[in-house]
Amino acid sequence: MPDMSAIVNPQQRQFNPYAENGGTILAIAGADFTVIAGDTRQSEGYSIQTRYAPKVFHLTDRAVLAVNGFAADGNMFVKKVKQRLEWYRHAHAKDMPLRAIARLIQTMLYAQRFFPYYVYNILGGIEEDGTGAVYSFDPVGSYEREACRAAGAAQSLVQPFLDNQIYFKNQTPAQGSSHPAHLPLPDVLSIVIDSFTSATERHIEVGDGLEMYIVLAKGRTLPDAVTTLRPQELPSSAGDGERVFVLKRDLKKD
Amino acid sequence: MSIMEHNGGSVIAMAGKDCVAIASDLRLGAGAMTVALNFEKIFPVTDRIYMGLTGLATDIITLRDRFRYLVNMFTIKESRAIEPSTYAHLVSSTLYSRRFGPYFTEPVLAGLERTPSGGFKPYIAGADLIGCLNFAEDFIVAGTASDKLFGVAEGLWEPDLGPEDLFETISQTLLNAVDRDAYSGWGAIVYIITPEKVITRTLKGRMD
Amino acid sequence: MATADGGAYSYSLTVFSPSGKLVQIEHALAAVSQGTTSLGIKASNGIVIATEKKSSSILIDDSMLEKVAVICPNIGIARKSAQAYWKIYGEYPPTRVLTQEIATVMQKATQSGGIRPYGVSLLVAGYDGNRGPTLYQVDPSGSFWAWKASAIGKNMTNAKTFLEKRYNDDISLEDAIHTALLTLKEGFEGQMTEKTIEIGVVTVPTVAELEEGKIGGTTGRVKPTFRKLTEEEVRDYLAL
Repeated sequence: MPDMSAIVNPQQRQFNPYAENGGTILAIAGADFTVIAGDTRQSEGYSIQTRYAPKVFHLTDRAVLAVNGFAADGNMFVKKVKQRLEWYRHAHAKDMPLRAIARLIQTMLYAQRFFPYYVYNILGGIEEDGTGAVYSFDPVGSYEREACRAAGAAQSLVQPFLDNQIYFKNQTPAQGSSHPAHLPLPDVLSIVIDSFTSATERHIEVGDGLEMYIVLAKGRTLPDAVTTLRPQELPSSAGDGERVFVLKRDLKKD
Repeated sequence: MSIMEHNGGSVIAMAGKDCVAIASDLRLGAGAMTVALNFEKIFPVTDRIYMGLTGLATDIITLRDRFRYLVNMFTIKESRAIEPSTYAHLVSSTLYSRRFGPYFTEPVLAGLERTPSGGFKPYIAGADLIGCLNFAEDFIVAGTASDKLFGVAEGLWEPDLGPEDLFETISQTLLNAVDRDAYSGWGAIVYIITPEKVITRTLKGRMD
Repeated sequence: MATADGGAYSYSLTVFSPSGKLVQIEHALAAVSQGTTSLGIKASNGIVIATEKKSSSILIDDSMLEKVAVICPNIGIARKSAQAYWKIYGEYPPTRVLTQEIATVMQKATQSGGIRPYGVSLLVAGYDGNRGPTLYQVDPSGSFWAWKASAIGKNMTNAKTFLEKRYNDDISLEDAIHTALLTLKEGFEGQMTEKTIEIGVVTVPTVAELEEGKIGGTTGRVKPTFRKLTEEEVRDYLAL
């Protein structure tokens, strides 16, 4: 007689390798600069894991990457991108151009097509022609160059606001005039700050702190209106190239 | 497919200085398919109260008729026009009477309330589908584009806007929000309520 | 057959007598006119209602008798009806609407099977933002009127004549309270003391008081405009 107690109903167990860690990122390109920003709250469900977990990373003198989604995947992905950029530097004795980084990110994301990095990437910086650029990606590598993009928990709150304020959507210019193709840096910074304070007000996963990276084209200086905000300049490899600044702001912690 | 999103549509109300505004899109859909682009969701309640209803279209029509009946009965019984705060409670209790089999609509109210000294005070309110009232001093949003409306309104709204500035603010908020929502859009209508008059404007927006 | 008491018609509530009367209601009205006197006066800044509180036996604990009561903060005298209105509109009913509701209840009693008409008349005094201070009288038949001043119960005819002579449109609340006491004193049997009468007053709130709004925020209770005078206050008025 076999041991009947050994016969049990079939059971299924599942391990979910992904988590959603909230937060929002945003990037806006100007004529000769790009602003890449993200909040610093990291959460899981209704719990805040930390009030300071950076989502925006300085890659090269002319490239900054913001990652949002599953924080573990994001951190690992940034680590691997940085490694590939260092290899490039060793092989070619120069930093990888922005559009090449964008293509590299696509390749790296698509390489994980069947077990993707659960992250939305926004790459911002200065192109080789000196213009500001923003590249946005989906988790498997589809990408596009744009003038502005929001991603993450509050994307639905911020993106239509950006459409209106950056692209001047639904606004008709006065007779004989036209909307500017690019906004000046001080205007862009106020729109970024407004976007994040709004998102913090209405979305529980956004808040605590705001980090804004400013990438400035070669030979350009910060306007006085921005210098008075006392941004911190990050060390660069070549003294005469593009420069990267960081501006930090507190966001509401509730 | 959720019932609340089946027909699509969004409404927003904003308070200004001695005036209020309420606006909606005009789309009627059946899931992803657009059926009509003249489906109004905002209805006059009195000379100084307008109500917007989002959610299931059949319930929007049923409730519009039901509330018209209830307000007519009130007006006859009390021989006076209903005040916004009283009407808000009427909406709340009517919806709560269907607590366990609700109408699938989220109402938005905008009106001017008479003050004891004879003036008018802006009054806006919203409710969920079972009548939980939400009194806000700035704006109320509802519908399939509610998250987008929250984001844009939070960025554009400021206190004490006059009728024309309020019109500009509510119009820009609505248009830019519904342009990012597949279930809302296809034209819009705006009502500005002032003590003297109600201004109605239909907006030209993206039709895609 | 046709006798003074109404004869065959007197037993059915809903059958008119040949003279066009509903006899049961006549009887109810007769019951009212045997009741103790109550009266109300609308003043320029409020309303007073006063009533005789006389018990048939010295053994009755008259401190437990209450003939003037608050229905809701703005109407003094069917609380159920006022609460039902609150549940729908989040506010208390205007005086006229509540009076209408009471009248409907009383009218139904004149037509429904198995019940008799109420043998009472009511004076309803209240204040609301729409009509200001108002005084209503409701009769057993279910009909109601707005009054500047009225009296019900025993001596009502005399009292009304007295009020007609004394009343003017710009009488103050203080004067109205004294007029009410004087009217009640006409035909009062026995000693008129704070134990044997009750007084209720409705005061008209000032614009500042109205602007101040409700107690405890917008969803709180409205400040009462009706209150019963305490025995001490009644004694003071009687002394004057």
